[in-house]
Amino acid sequence: MSIDIRNLIDVRNGKQKKRIFWDEELYQLELDRIFGRCWLFLTHESEIPKPGDFFCTYMGEEPVIVVRTRAGELRGFLNTCTHRGNQLCQAESGNTRAFTCSYHGWSFDLDGRLAAVPLEADAYHHRIDKAALGLRAVPRVESFGGFVFGCFDPEAPPLRDYLGEMAWYLETFTACGGAELLGPPLKSVLHCNWKIPCENFICDSYHIGWTHAAALKVLGGPLAAMSGNSQAPPGIGAQVSTRHGHGFGIIWDAAPALHRDPAFADFLRAKQPRVAAQLGETRGRLYTAHWDAGIFPNCSFLYGTQVWKMWHPRGPRECEVWTWTLVEKEMSAELKRKIQKEALRTFGTAGTFESDDGQNMYGCTYTNRGPFARRGEMLGAMGLERDAAHPELPGLYNESNYSEAALRGFYRFYAEMLEARGWDEVAAHTRSMAGGGHGAAGAARD
Amino acid sequence: MASPAGLELYHQIQQLYFREARLFAERRYREWLETFVDREVHYWLPIFEERYRADRKPPPEFPPAIYDDNYRDLEERIERLETNLVWMEDPPSRIRHLITNLEVYQADQPDQLETFSNFLVSRNRREREQTILVGAREDRLRRGANGWRLLRRKIVMPQRVVLDTNLYYLI
Repeated sequence: MSIDIRNLIDVRNGKQKKRIFWDEELYQLELDRIFGRCWLFLTHESEIPKPGDFFCTYMGEEPVIVVRTRAGELRGFLNTCTHRGNQLCQAESGNTRAFTCSYHGWSFDLDGRLAAVPLEADAYHHRIDKAALGLRAVPRVESFGGFVFGCFDPEAPPLRDYLGEMAWYLETFTACGGAELLGPPLKSVLHCNWKIPCENFICDSYHIGWTHAAALKVLGGPLAAMSGNSQAPPGIGAQVSTRHGHGFGIIWDAAPALHRDPAFADFLRAKQPRVAAQLGETRGRLYTAHWDAGIFPNCSFLYGTQVWKMWHPRGPRECEVWTWTLVEKEMSAELKRKIQKEALRTFGTAGTFESDDGQNMYGCTYTNRGPFARRGEMLGAMGLERDAAHPELPGLYNESNYSEAALRGFYRFYAEMLEARGWDEVAAHTRSMAGGGHGAAGAARD
Repeated sequence: MASPAGLELYHQIQQLYFREARLFAERRYREWLETFVDREVHYWLPIFEERYRADRKPPPEFPPAIYDDNYRDLEERIERLETNLVWMEDPPSRIRHLITNLEVYQADQPDQLETFSNFLVSRNRREREQTILVGAREDRLRRGANGWRLLRRKIVMPQRVVLDTNLYYLI
């Protein structure tokens, strides 16, 4: 390998070389070693509830079909015909009995089997082995709390273990009544490297007061004082980084801060005692906090604002953002509709907050056109000296949300996946870390 | 189909839309809101799904939209721009609206019109960025004391994956 990962990512000092946002060779390595080996978010079960329902998405650059089979199981297939490789399904979602290729009419059933080859006797003289020509399956498809993920690597740990400590946090809104996503997703293009929005969502509370100064000022309420950085957010919060590069920032008691309608806040307040009773006081408190979060590698969400995002990479300098609304199953249809309106109004394609970010993300990418800029490095060391463990919150903990702890965790695992020969090496590293369940804290000190 | 507007009314509505386009180009959003928008407006840009024609799955229960704004929502968007804290608009972008294919019909209610129009919006930003969006508008206008006001606007957006970084501009 001609790329020296340790030269690109300085884990100890929280620094990254600028070329990680530009380099084509590194991008191809990311597709192989990160998108080819990590669990990637596909869809939510609520989007494909019935047999024959399907949803087309991407795993890295690979088009895939996620389908619910006649038996009700979730399967994933590469969205490419096994004859000459044409894209098989050209619709983004729907319900079907079979997928028929638009080129020569080969047809595949919901289990991916090659069901029909037109003019089979005339064309192939009965010498085609249809059983061997089924769709290429995504080897692993599993779901956590209804959130469906896929993985190309048969050696990867189960999804639950991959999410690890992050699963414990996710249960805050998935384990007590359940969550779902309202789709179809909004889709738009961002002219930036895919990692930039990921690092922004996983840790960056620091930009909120400045980048989003205008929206905060108009919004009013408890966060308005952050506008223009005249004040840090109320309660300032904390930051968590968990093993395998996941993490999030917390602003306590701020869950519905960007939602103008009080119905959402009322719902959370009313339900909180039940969450605390079922999941404990810590997650009870997280239930009414606002989280800016990332599931490694390219899935992000804002709990409290209620947006769920995928940043699909499209080369090193472009990505496609897909945006769903996150709701709880127990919410009334009216409340879901209200939350969807506010979520998309703030973080949709014409979002009052989202539209502030694109220019920065473009700038962070395209200033790397020249080799002099690319040789430079970026600083991600905010709060480094305060990375620690916490008695109740698993993972690595930082006592301020103005910190880049989760960004450092993201790049720590990013570098690890780029270097590791396979998941057994990653698992050995996990075992060698001190502190057992609080593994990320151990990793930070190694 | 309702009856088409006469020449004079058609001309009047066309002038109204041309003026609206100029207000957008000159970033006079507040003036647009106050002189052209009905207090009960619904300004709507729904997204769509690419489905097969014969698809059997029901449409989504909660159809998402890029804009789903009432009067106050639009006003807040304008207030945001008026703070002068929107860095993306500083230096400001240059936006131009071409409004074509106008059809004007008398609506079922006597004080209302239904109109159809196509738009081409170009947005130029910074050194070289230019994005072009082509689509359609389906409007309902209501006559008030001070002339015709926008009561409903549905923006028909042909891009499934929006090719611009955002659509934070009025159409």
